[in-house]
Amino acid sequence: MGESTGASIRSHCIGTTAVVYASDYLNKLTGEKIERECRKQLDGGCRALVINFSDTELVNSIGISILLGIIDIAERNGAQLIFSDLNTQTIELFQMLGLTRHVLLARDEEEALTVLTSYTTQTSTVGH
Amino acid sequence: MRQGNSKQGRRILGRVTQEEFVGRTAELAQLVSHPAVAGEPRGLLVLLAPLAGVSELLRQTYDELFNRQGEIVPIYFQVERTYATAVSAAIEFLTTFVLQYIAYKRDAPSLCQTSLTLPDLVRLAPPSDHEWIAELVAAYNKERFSDDNKSLVRFCLSAPQRVPPRSGRPFVMIDGVELAAYLNTAVQLDSEMIKTFNRSHLPYALAGLRRQVLEAVHRAGTNFETVDMLRLDRLTEEQARQLIETAAHRQKVSLNEETRDLLAEQFEGSPLFITAFLQAARERNVSPTTYLACEQLYVDDLMGGHLNRHFNSLLEEIAAEPDVRRSLIRVLHESAIGGNRKTPFETWRRLLNAETPALQKVLAQLHMHELLNWDGISVEAGGGPAVWLDYLKMRFRLDVMNEPRATVVAQSIADALKRAPHTMAHHYRRTVNLKLRELLGRFNGQLVPEKLFHYGDFSASYKGADLEEIVRDLDVESQLLRLPQVFHTATCSSFVANIDQFGDKECCVAAHAFDGAIYTAANQVVWLVAELESKLEADRRLTETWLDRLTLFAIHSGFHRTRIWLIAKEGFSLEASELLKQRKAFGSSRQQFALLAERIGEFEPPSLPGKPDEFEIVLPMGDDNELLAASITEQIARRLDFQPEAINQIKTAIVEACINASEHSFSPDRKIYQRFRLESDKLVITISSRGVVPSNLQAQITEQGVKFGELDEASEERRGWGLKLIKTLMDEVEFERVDDGTSLRMTKYLRRTSS
Repeated sequence: MGESTGASIRSHCIGTTAVVYASDYLNKLTGEKIERECRKQLDGGCRALVINFSDTELVNSIGISILLGIIDIAERNGAQLIFSDLNTQTIELFQMLGLTRHVLLARDEEEALTVLTSYTTQTSTVGH
Repeated sequence: MRQGNSKQGRRILGRVTQEEFVGRTAELAQLVSHPAVAGEPRGLLVLLAPLAGVSELLRQTYDELFNRQGEIVPIYFQVERTYATAVSAAIEFLTTFVLQYIAYKRDAPSLCQTSLTLPDLVRLAPPSDHEWIAELVAAYNKERFSDDNKSLVRFCLSAPQRVPPRSGRPFVMIDGVELAAYLNTAVQLDSEMIKTFNRSHLPYALAGLRRQVLEAVHRAGTNFETVDMLRLDRLTEEQARQLIETAAHRQKVSLNEETRDLLAEQFEGSPLFITAFLQAARERNVSPTTYLACEQLYVDDLMGGHLNRHFNSLLEEIAAEPDVRRSLIRVLHESAIGGNRKTPFETWRRLLNAETPALQKVLAQLHMHELLNWDGISVEAGGGPAVWLDYLKMRFRLDVMNEPRATVVAQSIADALKRAPHTMAHHYRRTVNLKLRELLGRFNGQLVPEKLFHYGDFSASYKGADLEEIVRDLDVESQLLRLPQVFHTATCSSFVANIDQFGDKECCVAAHAFDGAIYTAANQVVWLVAELESKLEADRRLTETWLDRLTLFAIHSGFHRTRIWLIAKEGFSLEASELLKQRKAFGSSRQQFALLAERIGEFEPPSLPGKPDEFEIVLPMGDDNELLAASITEQIARRLDFQPEAINQIKTAIVEACINASEHSFSPDRKIYQRFRLESDKLVITISSRGVVPSNLQAQITEQGVKFGELDEASEERRGWGLKLIKTLMDEVEFERVDDGTSLRMTKYLRRTSS
């Protein structure tokens, strides 16, 4: 299991799954950092991504639009993507803007990893 | 009577105090020091752009030199419209000269304001000067009865040469030289002045409209090497704003920042228009604190006030006959609204039904005032300041179309009001636009990382990376591009008139250059550079449109070898980047542009009274300051016992409102104004910013303010969600009507949980 912090984005790999940690405020700058980290992990051979929002208190619409871009990137690369550890407010926002139609949400990182493990044999959906 | 230190700052001819005189500090210093420059005394030609204003500058120079009481004796003379002939003007000059000389020698400023005859002045002359002044007046009395007008004019103008060297050196400043063109006489006063003053071996300054002064210098056969020049353009935006503030203060007229900026733009930095407008405001007791009040007063003054009188007398001087004047108004107005503005002289003669010499005189005078260009063969009309064009339109409707005055007034106010936001929007855009021409001019064959011109490659390497990392990488980048040496830049609209319909004209630029600074035909290239308007990465369609547009422009303009460079704020989509590659064009984001600018030289990239329960906060835009706003909002919302969920909703709405304010407004002060009002059952938050109303909001705003529910929710764009979010998170959202920028009012009601 390797770990890197980049400039301000933490991430680590478990097998072919990368867990990327979003910061306390998701805006254009931090969104682009997450996108960069995800691209890096995919280029490095990861086949699944978990974005962990446990530190995220506030999200803005530009940050959300970048998350949609990350969903596109994951799709194009044939990679699975799960968002985990979101607070209620953020979930509401994602629902409001339709993100939840395109990405799986997991209660926490552990659940996300479990889902990804089982996904290798079957397709399943999880949610709150 | 000498007054020691109290002489400093005495107002003698100046209409305003030294402190109130703004915007021409460097020019004032040059004028004051001109007569003291070592070596042979020289003439100074003060060349004015139309409406630039010079009289107060000369009067301030006079006051400064007068108060110094040194060797230099200042003399200020203004050619006036009331002088009928060159002879009467020259005699007036002689009297003014003697009067001001004696006032200076006696240090008696009040004398300058008197109207004395030459015999009176001889009696007032100080003993040390009495003899030569008496001789001068006696000689004049002899000369004035001769039949030789030219000789009399020269005699009067050469009077300063009679001052004995021990009595000081006169410095003559002539104002309004262009008015010499209207004198009904065979003697050309302007040329005679230049000839006489040049022979006098005394310093002098001659101020007037640049075309007229230069023409007079040519006519006088003057060697340009013997004169210095001082070019006066209209005030810069900053200077104009300063002038408006000081003049409004002096006239006791209330303004605010919004209307001050509007007036600075609308009057294009003309001191004459600005002071006329503020004078009208004082006379009519109007406070121009709204766009509406400004435009009503503007139209009033244009219809029958100072502005009206200014243009009326100008037109009467140019075309004395009412019939010719009416035809002239028609032709000038039609030229202003028409497309093809260059017309043969013969066409003008037919349109105005005028004799050739009379028309030549009319055209020469319009040319002098830069209201058109006439080269003796064809006439290029349609120019001039916007105020002049408004005046022409108004006169056309009244005099040619015979429309009722009330209709013209109403429509003119409506037009001016509709134009005001566009004027300001244009100003804001110009302020934040990339300074393309400035940057291109500094290319100068420098080597820069090629990645700065290929957004696709740049994005793949650096999107989301820290600036330090990008700069570090670029420093060691091996793929370099040699920039050309640019020798001429101009807006594309300078070549093809209608290209600026696609955006601000400064956003599309053509730069003529040589690759490698090698001056051969094979190396000659034209860079066509355009700044695209796009919130997101520019897509393929927009990119293709601009590539096609610039390619056609190059063909139309006869540019054989070109290089297209497009710049979009957020760069280009993958497909657009691919297209740029295919078409061998460059594409950069604003970040790449700023990085390039830093590399190639010094360049500056496009960087309320309250109530007890009201809070006001002003935050600068950027640097995640919306987080500060959210944090403050949280503290305020807690005072009303909002539930945590509601507080989070309000915070998110605030963040979105701040982002909206800073992203698209081209705000001049880069500030977000926030007002919080606590009521028993609700929190009302108003977020305002100055600048352009974003296009997605424009439809939302009507005179009453439109409820948010009318927002088009069908938009599938990934940006522009902010408003949708705000609407969902807050209970009431509406726009308040403001002249400049936007003001968004959001309300959240308190829902107490039952205990």
